[in-house]
Amino acid sequence: MIQSESIVSAYTPPFKIAAKYFIAAIVSFVLLNFLLLFNYSEIAGHHFNPKILSINHVATLGWITMIIFGAMFQLVPVVLETKLFSEKLAEIQFWIYLSGVIGLVYCFWVFDTGISMTISAVLLNLSMFIFSFNIIITMKSVKKWNITAWYLAAAIFYLIVTAIAGLLLAINLWTPYVKLDHLQYLNLHAHIAFIGWVSMVIMGVSFKLIPMFTLSHGFSLLYAKSAFWVLNIGLLGISTIMHYKETTFLYYIFTGLIVFGIIFFLLQIHIIFKNRIRKKFDIGIRFSVVAYLMLGLTTILGTFIAFVDYQNITNLTLIYGYMIIFGYISMLIVGQMYKIVPFLVWYHKYSSKVGLEPVPMLKDMFIEKFALIEFYLMITAVFGSLYSLAFRIETGVLISFSIMFLSSIIFLFNMITIFRK
Amino acid sequence: MAKKEEILEVLKGVIDPEIGINIVDLGLVYEVESNDETNVITMTLTTPGCPMHSSISAWVENVVRHLEPGKKVIINLVWEPQWTPDLMSLEARQELGHRG
Repeated sequence: MIQSESIVSAYTPPFKIAAKYFIAAIVSFVLLNFLLLFNYSEIAGHHFNPKILSINHVATLGWITMIIFGAMFQLVPVVLETKLFSEKLAEIQFWIYLSGVIGLVYCFWVFDTGISMTISAVLLNLSMFIFSFNIIITMKSVKKWNITAWYLAAAIFYLIVTAIAGLLLAINLWTPYVKLDHLQYLNLHAHIAFIGWVSMVIMGVSFKLIPMFTLSHGFSLLYAKSAFWVLNIGLLGISTIMHYKETTFLYYIFTGLIVFGIIFFLLQIHIIFKNRIRKKFDIGIRFSVVAYLMLGLTTILGTFIAFVDYQNITNLTLIYGYMIIFGYISMLIVGQMYKIVPFLVWYHKYSSKVGLEPVPMLKDMFIEKFALIEFYLMITAVFGSLYSLAFRIETGVLISFSIMFLSSIIFLFNMITIFRK
Repeated sequence: MAKKEEILEVLKGVIDPEIGINIVDLGLVYEVESNDETNVITMTLTTPGCPMHSSISAWVENVVRHLEPGKKVIINLVWEPQWTPDLMSLEARQELGHRG
């Protein structure tokens, strides 16, 4: 196999489906950084502010989950060698989802916890159910289940758990007739979202894409398989025991399992990189490597938070969230977008001309130098933000958020360049 | 009738867009046979079960047919011997970051 071609195949749905999700996600990423920049002092101030919840959902729903939806419509049929059940549902889902995201983000912004927020949550749930239905029916026709399929199936389960927990939270804010501990559900909603949904997708897809991009094969998937079981037992355990009292010991056990799961995942990634034939790191892989390292650092911080009483370090949650969203997830998405989007556009426009007339190489589809500048700016912004948030340096937060905003503009520019090629 | 060298030359036009190396330098082309009626290309891919193999075959077929439009083109995709990085040309290996 010429490795890079493997993100399209005879099973690939039309690129316009993924493209719609990608464009909405990239716009959200710029908007996210714009909102952070213009509210930097409130964020640096560490007072609880509904705007932080609003911005957080621009990140998690508008940027991260939007990208995952688009990428899954593109990759699931290829990786599992089957056709997507319904392209029409993917299209309908997009508009319902977009309305839900805009509604929820707006409701948090003005902190309208009335029926509008619940309606937005219902729209989000509806779109996620449509997504899950579409992917599950697609998966039913899969003959060979590989490790990626297992991870994606688990991720969909956690997406639904996240969505339902989110809906219950919204209803509870509107009218607290559902008897639930709001903070506990918030904690569940956030952790299931980041570890169960987002990270399960990232892991499953990494096992397929990283070998493809680095020309790595002949490695064992033992760590990937171990991580799958350990993570799922940990996540299901945590979600169950939170409904009972005096479960501190079990909480430590299950949290420990999740930590081990992430360590196993990183070990598997390390093995894949060690076996690679393509030694040089291109820009997409550089972003990805930093993202995996950041996941390691974030896990150390997360473990600390889980096992140590951190109440006196008030802004730790904010730092933790920033590390997850920017250092780990956004860094990885940007890197993978520099691999996936040029190829999809290239394939769409130039594949039929290969060998017959000069066609551009993938690295010619965008300005590599700008991408490299973006890479350094993003790293600077991540560490700058973490440092400034930790030591409460307001000017530092302003400068770091400005740098991150600038990097998102470069990303937008390069993505537009690719789409216009 | 096109010589083997000519066919290999057009196959060098089939470049992996991501790494910028053509299939000949990658060592994927095992054998080229040409007679009056057909051109047979025996080749491999780096991993079996590549979902894109139909596209790659189409590219190879395209360029060979373009060279000699009247002849039948047969792509013989084989997995033995298995492809290894040692089959790459020196330039290809250097391009991928291997020393020498």
